Amino acid sequence: MLRSIVCALVLVGLLGPAKAEHMGSGEHIRFGLTAVVVRENLRFLDQWAEYLGDKMGRPVEFIRRRSYREVMDMLDSGALDFAWICGFPYVQKREPEFLKLLAVPIYKGEPLYHSYIIVHADSPYRSLDDLRGKVFAYSDPESNSGFLYPQYLLTKRGEKSETYFHQTFFTFNHAETIEAVAEQVADGGAVDSYIWEYISATMPSITNKTRIIRRSPTFGFPPLVSRVGINEDLEEHMRAVLTEMHADPEGRPFLSGLKLDEFRVLPPALFDNIREMADRVRSVQPSLAKATKDDKGG
Amino acid sequence: MSLLRLRSWNLSVKFALTITAVVAGVAFTIGAAIVAQDWHRFRVELEERALLLAQSVAVTAPVDILRTDYWGLYKSLKRMSKRASSRVVDTRVLTAMILDTKGNILAHLQPAAQPLGHRFVPANELERKLFEDAQAARTSTVLSGGGGEDGFLEGVVPVLSDEKVLGVVRVRLSTYGLFVKTQRSAYVVLGLTFAMVVFGSLLGAFVSRRMTKPLTAMTEGMEAVSRGELFNIAPVPVTDDDELGRLASTFNKMAVAMAEKSMLEEQMAVSEKLIALGRITAGVAHEVNNPLAGLLNCIDTLKKHPDDPELINRYLPLLDKGLHRIGDIVQGLLVELRVEEATETSDPSCLEELKGLVEAEINGRAITFIWENNLGEDVRINAKRVQQIVHNLLKNAAQVLPDGGTMSFRSFQEGDSMTLVVDDDGPGIPLEHRSQLFDPFFTTKATGTGLGLWIVYRLVQSMRGVIKVESEVGQGTCFQVTLPSGDLENRS
Repeated sequence: MLRSIVCALVLVGLLGPAKAEHMGSGEHIRFGLTAVVVRENLRFLDQWAEYLGDKMGRPVEFIRRRSYREVMDMLDSGALDFAWICGFPYVQKREPEFLKLLAVPIYKGEPLYHSYIIVHADSPYRSLDDLRGKVFAYSDPESNSGFLYPQYLLTKRGEKSETYFHQTFFTFNHAETIEAVAEQVADGGAVDSYIWEYISATMPSITNKTRIIRRSPTFGFPPLVSRVGINEDLEEHMRAVLTEMHADPEGRPFLSGLKLDEFRVLPPALFDNIREMADRVRSVQPSLAKATKDDKGG
Repeated sequence: MSLLRLRSWNLSVKFALTITAVVAGVAFTIGAAIVAQDWHRFRVELEERALLLAQSVAVTAPVDILRTDYWGLYKSLKRMSKRASSRVVDTRVLTAMILDTKGNILAHLQPAAQPLGHRFVPANELERKLFEDAQAARTSTVLSGGGGEDGFLEGVVPVLSDEKVLGVVRVRLSTYGLFVKTQRSAYVVLGLTFAMVVFGSLLGAFVSRRMTKPLTAMTEGMEAVSRGELFNIAPVPVTDDDELGRLASTFNKMAVAMAEKSMLEEQMAVSEKLIALGRITAGVAHEVNNPLAGLLNCIDTLKKHPDDPELINRYLPLLDKGLHRIGDIVQGLLVELRVEEATETSDPSCLEELKGLVEAEINGRAITFIWENNLGEDVRINAKRVQQIVHNLLKNAAQVLPDGGTMSFRSFQEGDSMTLVVDDDGPGIPLEHRSQLFDPFFTTKATGTGLGLWIVYRLVQSMRGVIKVESEVGQGTCFQVTLPSGDLENRS
């Protein structure tokens, strides 16, 4: 409750100047990032923003927010032009729709990823059944892999998170969910397979303390979106820059830094199974996160 | 026993030990005070740090608690713990936790042991007590427990939101660093104390040697005095003008004075001997001369009247008596000389011989004679001299006693001395005679030579004994001779 109020306050603070700045050419292109992006390295993001700015002929600024909700609100309000979000917020029903699919990252040859249910490596837990009455860590209430998928699993069993687990909490970051499980603050957690693999490759000492007890079916990889109402040339220009990055020697290092193959334009149907899951969960749990304006207050 | 031994220790040792003890005591006391103060200061610092760390968490906690952001609470504990351990000063966060008002865990640094959302489980009685105290805390408090390596203190700060208590933050810091630090300074203090002890004992030894040197010299001097070697006393060196210096110089003066006195005494003894000799000579001359004049007169008269039988009858007994008197005097002096030179020792049974002699002296008169010789067989006495003393005293008693009188001889040992007592219930000695009692040739008897008691006196004196007379006219007389027993030969 209080969190929503705090978010709203942040929003009010951002709205004014952002809209004023949006007028006229030569202004910054605002690109929102969420916990989907693993790189915490500010220098990397600065260099990537500089690269994109060079290609776009206008400065690009990455704006990072803790939760998906904040980024979605900023998109809705026009404070952002583009954003890298998750499949779950993308498939939410919005009246009117303010998002358009810009591009989908290709990871290990496919635009797909999984949700991993992880536990501590030393724990005896083998399945979600063993986690009943335990502490469970979610990433973000609007994350597909970090929240929707485990909700879906519970719904299929006719359970609810609040009663199934003894305690749950949000880390708002996949990397921190892994950390929470590794440090045994949580007995189990749900994370993005891409982030888990990334950390496993860069900091194996953390993921070595965790064990995957369930892999979800494949889902569409967290997509890059643009705001409805944005200049169509700008949108096309950005799409072109992103989808050609893998062919550009200057752009490749950024993709390899993110451990991605390329950005590709793909049909929205890629995210249909996420929508189906969300519908199924919402049928028993109407309060499930909805990124619509009228939902904001509660 | 050990106390006795302690008392017989040298003054120089005792003095050095005292200085050492005082130095060690002072060093240790000051050191201990510093250590205690250090410990207290470090502890206060650590308490402040624990409170600050707990407060840093408690400030941000209300928002996270209201949002049920347990991950955020846990991270704030982690950050705090990291911040604490990255400090230069050794601060180890043993544990930290955030509990709600019911005692449920909102965050704990050891989540595996104390899982989130469960009630906090105290591991033991101490933990239970701390838990209750922390839950009851409404203001920032410091709790403590354990000791040594396991010692800790805890900053307890309640989490408040608009004066409503949401929970409590507990940050437990190890006091082991404090303990180690204090231990280290305690070792330094002990080391310093030891160094002070070494220094103090060296100083003490030096000072006491300096101070007791004149005392040692004086003691040696005194021992020489007690041995009678008055001329062998080396002067004590006088270095300082303090009490000891003055004592040393006084001692030196005394030694010189004693040597002079002893010399004078020797001279006096020589002259006394000469005087005595003179007196004897004069006495002999006088005693011999008196009858001699009468005898010569008699002989002159007989020469003039050789045929007068009446004169012969009258003068011959006089001549006989006069010559016998002279003979007695000479005999007495000879006895004195002979006996005084006697060195032969014997057991006390030799005194028994006297019994017959005294009985002969009594000669059948009605006198009671009691003999009581209590000297042990092992006592050695100078037979001739003691015999002479006892015989003379008994002879005197027998002579003065009237019929029906009683006389007794008694001897006994007492410590290092033996006592010979001759008692009678005779007429006693008139007061006016007492001062001349032991003078040679002083006699109240018509036929006496006046040498008997003089001989007794001389013999007693030669044996370094004491003679005592108690007498009352009409009641009797008691002579008591006390002689040092043991090796009498060397004492003559």
